Amino acid sequence: MTDIKRAIVYFAKYLKRYWLSLSFVTVVTVISIYFEVKAPVYMGQAITELANYVGQYMNPQTQQTASMTPFYKALGLMMLFFVVTAITMFISSFISSRISAEASGRMRIGLFAKLQRMTIKYFDTHRDGEILSLFTSDLDNIFNAMNQAIFQLLSQFALFVGVILMMFNQNVKLALVTMASTPVAIIVAWFVISRARHYIDQQQDATGKMNGYINEQINGEKIIITQGLQKESIAGFAPHNETVKQATFRGQVYSGMLFPLMQGLSLLNLAIVIFFGSWLVVHDGMDKSVGLGLIVVFVNYSQQYYQPITQITSIYNMLQLAVTGARRLSDVDEQVEEISPVNGQKLTGVSSNVTLKDIHFAYQENKEILHGVSIDVQKGEMVALVGPTGSGKTTVMNLLNRFYDVTGGAVTFDGVDVRDLDLKSLREHVGIVLQDSVLFSGTIADNIKFGDPEASDEAMIDAAKQANIHDFIMTLPDAYQTKVDDENSIFSTGQKQLLSIARTILTNPSFLILDEATSNVDTVTEARIQAAMDNVIAGRTSFVIAHRLKTILGADKIVVLKDGQVIEEGSHEALVAEGGFYAELYHNQMVFE
Amino acid sequence: MQILKDHAKPYWRDITFSILAVIVMAGASLWQPRLLQNIMKAIIADNQSQVMQYGIQLLVLAVIGLVAGVINTIFAAKVSQSIAADVRANEYKKIQSFSFGNIEKFSAGNLVVRMTNDVNQVQQLVMMFLQSLTRIPILFVGAFILALMTLPRLWWIVVLMVILIALSSQIVFKQMGKFFTRIQKLIDKTNTLAKENLQGVRVVKSFNQEQNETTRFTENSDELTHVNTTIGYLFSTMIPMFMLISYVAIGAAVLFVGRGIIQHPSDLAAITSFISYLMQIFFAIMIGGMMSTFASRGFVSLARIKEVLDTEPDLTYDTNAEDLDLSGDVSFKNVAFTYPGDQKPALENISFDVKSGEMIGIVGATGSGKTTLAQLIARLYDPSAGEVTVGGVNLKHVNEKSLRRAVSYVLQRAILFSGTIAGNLRQGNQGASETELQKAAEIAQAAEFVNRYDDNFEHEVEERSANFSGGQKQRLSIARGVVGNPKILILDDSTSALDARSEKLVQEALDRDLKGTTTFVIAEKISSVLHADRILVLDEGQLVGIGSHQELLQTSSIYTEIYETQKAKGANA
Ligand SMILES: Nc1ncnc2c1ncn2[C@@H]1O[C@H](COP(=O)(O)OP(=O)(O)OP(=O)(O)O)[C@@H](O)[C@H]1O
Ligand SMILES: Nc1ncnc2c1ncn2[C@@H]1O[C@H](COP(=O)(O)OP(=O)(O)OP(=O)(O)O)[C@@H](O)[C@H]1O
Ligand SMILES: [Mg+2]
Ligand SMILES: [Mg+2]
Repeated sequence: MTDIKRAIVYFAKYLKRYWLSLSFVTVVTVISIYFEVKAPVYMGQAITELANYVGQYMNPQTQQTASMTPFYKALGLMMLFFVVTAITMFISSFISSRISAEASGRMRIGLFAKLQRMTIKYFDTHRDGEILSLFTSDLDNIFNAMNQAIFQLLSQFALFVGVILMMFNQNVKLALVTMASTPVAIIVAWFVISRARHYIDQQQDATGKMNGYINEQINGEKIIITQGLQKESIAGFAPHNETVKQATFRGQVYSGMLFPLMQGLSLLNLAIVIFFGSWLVVHDGMDKSVGLGLIVVFVNYSQQYYQPITQITSIYNMLQLAVTGARRLSDVDEQVEEISPVNGQKLTGVSSNVTLKDIHFAYQENKEILHGVSIDVQKGEMVALVGPTGSGKTTVMNLLNRFYDVTGGAVTFDGVDVRDLDLKSLREHVGIVLQDSVLFSGTIADNIKFGDPEASDEAMIDAAKQANIHDFIMTLPDAYQTKVDDENSIFSTGQKQLLSIARTILTNPSFLILDEATSNVDTVTEARIQAAMDNVIAGRTSFVIAHRLKTILGADKIVVLKDGQVIEEGSHEALVAEGGFYAELYHNQMVFE
Repeated sequence: MQILKDHAKPYWRDITFSILAVIVMAGASLWQPRLLQNIMKAIIADNQSQVMQYGIQLLVLAVIGLVAGVINTIFAAKVSQSIAADVRANEYKKIQSFSFGNIEKFSAGNLVVRMTNDVNQVQQLVMMFLQSLTRIPILFVGAFILALMTLPRLWWIVVLMVILIALSSQIVFKQMGKFFTRIQKLIDKTNTLAKENLQGVRVVKSFNQEQNETTRFTENSDELTHVNTTIGYLFSTMIPMFMLISYVAIGAAVLFVGRGIIQHPSDLAAITSFISYLMQIFFAIMIGGMMSTFASRGFVSLARIKEVLDTEPDLTYDTNAEDLDLSGDVSFKNVAFTYPGDQKPALENISFDVKSGEMIGIVGATGSGKTTLAQLIARLYDPSAGEVTVGGVNLKHVNEKSLRRAVSYVLQRAILFSGTIAGNLRQGNQGASETELQKAAEIAQAAEFVNRYDDNFEHEVEERSANFSGGQKQRLSIARGVVGNPKILILDDSTSALDARSEKLVQEALDRDLKGTTTFVIAEKISSVLHADRILVLDEGQLVGIGSHQELLQTSSIYTEIYETQKAKGANA
C-alpha cells in the first residue's frame, strides 16, 4: 500500500499545477457521462412515442389527431444529448491528453534535473543502465497509463457513483441486493491484485537489471569483440532475459485475469438480481407490475454498476506499471542531493591559498584511502602531485572540487572550508581536466564551449590553439561544426584529451587542476601545450597530477603521495638530491644520454 | 511483419488456443444481449420457470466467458512473452556478431533502446493482437450481418456509416505512423542525452553545467511532449468524431423508421436491435481503430528491430577456415585504411614484417594512426587496401577463434565490467585458474593492490569501474590481456596512467614471462619503447621510420624530435 501512497504523492506533485484544468476535465467528464447515460432514455421515449403514434393512427377514432410531434421532439432531444456527449467527450479528452503529455514531460525533465543535483557517490554506486531504464521504461509506462488509464479511471469512478445514486433513488432494497456481491468482488480482486503487484514489481526490477546488463555490455562491446567473448555475453544475457520473461508472464496473467473474473462476477451478480429480486418483490407485497418493472430496471443497473469495475480492472496492468514506475521514480527523488550551504560564502577567486589540512577520507566505511594528508598551495603556485597509481591523487582532486566530502580534516580556500562555500561558485573557480575525457553529443564547438556556452568563437579558437587541436579540427570538412559524440567520435584518444584541455582553458578558472591531462598525448604536442599553458598557468594557482615527470619539472613544489600519505615534499632538485622515492621514479623514467 | 511471423511459428499451438478462446469470448458476448432480452421478456410475462431456465443459461455463460477469458490471458501472455524474449535474444545475438564499424554506425545508446523499449512495444503489440484484435473482426462482421438482416431497408445507413468511419480513420492513421516514428527517434535522443550525462557526470558538475544540460534535455523532452500531445489531439478528435458519425447514423435510422412507419409497421419491433447492432459496429470500429494506432507504434518498433536483424556484420570470418595455432609473425603489405564515412585515409601504404617473439614499439604524434594500425592486427577492421597476415595467414582467411586466441589487444581506454575482478580477468581466458590469475596480475603489477583486498580476486568492480583509480584500471586490463598467454600482445598506450616504477616493473615482467610473445607497445614515452627490438614511427598515417632506438636517432627526424622533448637534460630541466 505504501507504494500506492508514494505513487499518489508523486503524481500529485506533478499534477498539482493542473488542478484547474483537472477539475474542469472532471466536471466535463461528469457532464459527458450524464448525457451519455441519459441519451438512451430519450431514444426509448422516441420509440414509445412512435409506437403510440402507430397505435393512434391505426385506430380509426384517433387517426385524425395522431401526431408525430412528440416523436420528433424526443428524437430531437436524443440527438441533442448525443451531440453534447460527443462534444464534451472531445473537450475532456483534448484537455486530458495535453495534461498527460505535459505532465509526463515534466516528470522526465524532473528526473533529469534531479539526477543533475545528485552526488557523485550515487552515480558511482548505481548502474547507468538501471537509471536509463527509468527514462525508457518507467516513464513510458507512466505516460501510457496517464494517456489511457488514469482519466478513464476518473470517468469510470464518476459513472460508478452515478449508478449507485440512481439505484438508491429507485429502490433501496434492490440497490442493496445489486451491491451485495461487491465484497466478494473486492476480495477476489484484492487477492489477484496483490499477486499481480508482486510480479509487476518483480518485472520492473528485472527489466531494470536486464537493461543495466544490456547497457553495460553494449557499451563495452569493443572489449567483448577483442576478447572474442560474444558467446559468453549471450550466455550472460540469457538468464536476464528468462527472468524478465517469467516475471512479466506472471504479472500479465494475474493482471489479465482480473478482467474475465470481473466479467464473470458481473453476470453472476445479474443472476442474483434476477432471482433474489423476483423473490423480494413477491414477498414484499409490491404491486406485481410495478415490481416486475423495477426488476427490469435493476437488471440494467446491475450491468451498469459492474461496468466501471470491469473497465478499471481491464486497465489494471497499466495502472500498476505506472504505480511501480512512480515508486521507482520517487526512490530517486528521495536520494540525497549535493548540499550547497544556504547563504554559503561565494568564492571569488583564490587570493591567498588553498590548503588540505590533515585530510582523512574513505569511500567506504572503515576503508580509509587518505590518512591525514596535508598540502598547502599558495596563490600563484604550481603544485605537482605524484605517486604510484592508486595512491590517492585523483581522490584528493575529488575533494578539492567537492565531489566527495572529507571524513576528517578540512579543505579550505583562503581559509574557508569548502563545506561553507557556495558550491556553484566553488566549481566556477576550480577548473579540472579529468583523467578520463568525455565528449557530449553535439558539434566540436559545443564541446569546447561546454563550460561557457556564451563564449565567442575567437575565444574558442584561441583555446583550441593553446591546446594544439585547432590544426586538426581545421582539417575536418565541417571544422568546428563537425558533429561528434562520445562513442562515435572521429578523435583519437589523445585528441579527445586535447579537446578537454581546450574546454577547461576556455573557462579561465582561477584554480586549475590537471589530472593526467596529457597522459595520452605525444610528448611533442605536450611540450607545445606546455609552452602555451605556461601563459595560462602563470599567475594562476594550479595543481597538477602527472606520471610523466617531465611535465612537472617546473613546479614550485612537488608532493609525493604514497598509500594515502604524503611521504616527500619539496622542489624537484631538492627531492632528487634527497635520493628518496621521487628520485627513484625520476631515474626510472628519464632517458639519459 | 516477417519477423513476427518467423518468431510466432514455434508457438502456433498456443496461438491457436488463445484465438479459439477469443472466439468463444466473442460468441458469448454476441449471445449475451439475446439472452438478456429473453430474460426481460420472461420477467415481464411473469414466467418463473422460464426465468429460472434463462438464469441458469446466464450462469453457464458466465462460467464459459470466465474460463475462456482466463485461458486467453494465459496463452496470450505466454506467446507474447516468449516472442518478445526470442526477439530480444536474437537481436542480442545479432548485435554480438557486429564489428566495431557496425556498432559505431548504430551507436551503443541507440542499440540499447532498440533492445529494450522497442522490444517492449512489440510485446505489447502481440499481447493486444491475441487478446482483442481477433475479437474485433468477429464482432464487426457479426453485427454487420445481423444489422442488415434486421432492417434490410436501411442497409445504406450501415454501409454509409462504415465507409465514413473507415475513410476518416484512414486519414488519421496515416498521420499517426509518421508521429510514432518521430517518437521512437526522440526516445533514442533522450536516452543518449541521459546516458552521456551519466558518463560525463563529473565533467558536467565541474563545469557547473547542470542547468545548461537540463535545458538541452528539456528542449528534446519538450519536442517529445509536443509530438505526444499532437497524437493525443488526433485521438481526442478521432474518437468523438466516430461517435458523432454513429450517433447521426442512429438518429437517421430512427428518423427513417419513423417516417415510413405507416408503410412498415413491423420496423417498430426491429429498431431497438438494429440500433444495438449499429452501436456494436461502432464499438468494434472504434476499438479496432484504437488498437491499430497502438499497433502502428508497434510496427515502427518492429521496423527498427528489423533494421538491426537485417544488418550484415561488415566483417565476417571464414567459417571454413580450420582452427590453427597461429604463430606470432605479423606482416603488413601495402596496407591502407580509411574509416567508414571519412575521406582522408588514416593509414597509407604501410608495410613491415615482424618475427615471432619480437618486441615492437610504435610511436608517433596524437592522431598519427597508432591505434588504427593496432586495430588492423586484431582484425577489428579490414584494411581498405593491402593485406595483413598473422602467422603467415591472411586475416581474411583466419577463423575467429584462432585469431582471438593468438592476438590479445589491450584497448587504449581501459573498460572493466561490473562484477568481480576475477570475472573481468577471466574474460581473457575462460578457464584460467586462480594461480593463472595471480600470475597475470603479477605481470601487470596488479597483484600488489588486488592482494590487499580481503576478498582478492573476488573484489567487486562497480559500474564504470568507479572504485578503481586510472592506473589500477589499466593494470587490470593488462592483466586481462596477458592471462590468455597470447602469441601476440598489443598494448595500446596501456601504461599511460602508470607511474614510472610500475611501468618499468610491467616491462620487466613481460620480458621475463612472455618471452615467446610478439609484443606491440604503443607509447608516448620513449622510455617505454627504448628497449624494443624495433620501433615503428608513424606520422599522419605514414610509416616514416623503422628500426632500433639508436638507428632511428640517426635516420628519423620525427623520432629525434620526440626524443628531444623527453631527454632529462632537455630544454627546461
Ligand atoms: N572511429 C573513427 N572514425 C573516424 N575517424 C577516426 C576514428 N578513429 C580515429 N579516427 C581518426 O584517425 C586518425 C588516427 O587515429 P588513431 O586513433 O589511430 O590515432 P593514435 O595514433 O592512436 O592517437 P593517440 O595517440 O591520440 O591515441 C585520427 O586523425 C583520428 O581523427
Ligand atoms: N569510488 C570509489 N570507491 C571506492 N574506492 C575507490 C573509489 N575511487 C577510488 N577508490 C580507491 O581509492 C584508491 C585511490 O584512488 P585514486 O583514484 O585516488 O588513485 P590515483 O592516485 O589517482 O591513481 P592513478 O594514478 O592510478 O590514477 C584506490 O585504491 C582506489 O581503488
Ligand atoms: Mg587518478
Ligand atoms: Mg590511440
